[in-house]
Amino acid sequence: MDHQFYLWMSYGATALALAAEMVALRAGRARARRLIEEERDLEAQD
Amino acid sequence: MNFYYFSSPATFYRLAGTMAPFFFAAALATGIAGLYMGFVVAPTDAQQGEVYRVIFIHVPAAWMSMFAYFVMACYGAISLTFNTRLAAMMARAIAPTGAMFTFVALWTGSFWGRPTWGTYWVWDARITSELVLLFLYLGFIALANAFEDPRRGDRAAALLAIIGVVNLPIIYFSVQWWNTLHQGSSVSFKGTSMHVAMLWAMLLMAISFWMYTIGAALVRCRTIILERERRAQWVRAMT
Repeated sequence: MDHQFYLWMSYGATALALAAEMVALRAGRARARRLIEEERDLEAQD
Repeated sequence: MNFYYFSSPATFYRLAGTMAPFFFAAALATGIAGLYMGFVVAPTDAQQGEVYRVIFIHVPAAWMSMFAYFVMACYGAISLTFNTRLAAMMARAIAPTGAMFTFVALWTGSFWGRPTWGTYWVWDARITSELVLLFLYLGFIALANAFEDPRRGDRAAALLAIIGVVNLPIIYFSVQWWNTLHQGSSVSFKGTSMHVAMLWAMLLMAISFWMYTIGAALVRCRTIILERERRAQWVRAMT
């Protein structure tokens, strides 16, 4: 098989893994902020 | 300098927020420079042809997988010894990035192995011990999140991280201790057998991965701090 296949599969997968982690980091941060907001709303209702 | 000041989650949260963009910028700059050196400046390998260029991510990812685990275990040991919250949070923050680099090392290794050895996978000592490292990372993440009380999860996961350190010399010396298909180190403290451009490309990519790991760990640690300290006054005042 052509060497380009192996290079693309390696570099492409690494780029995907890095992008997925960046998305996960942003999602985690948004989740934490939502959690704080929800708790604040609950306390306001009480 | 008072280090106890920086071990406060509130102080560290702000400090990490300031530092993380610089680490990501450094990762991007060194990554671009490394890719330029690796694909434009570095010559074609006489034996392996163009496919050898996989090493510019495979080797730095493998280095990072071991180094991140060592740092994670150190944070685990600090959290167990001194009962510090921030060290346990940092250990948790490093684990997913370490696991990702371990996966990248295994994945890129298999796509380098196919054209050079003729196979994607072999149960060779180096590759198997690197796979064990991936399982250790996944075990750490699972164990840390298995308890309702996060502090109990921290302690259990820290213990696993410390025990797992024994795997690091096994990975590193496996090519010397056993007869493996995986080649020995091309770079050591004694010198290198590589072309200087290849070496620079690899080192720049290693610095890039290192900077990225620190940046990602800082961002993740900030999220963990927010989750755990969400009832604290300083978090409420900030958000």
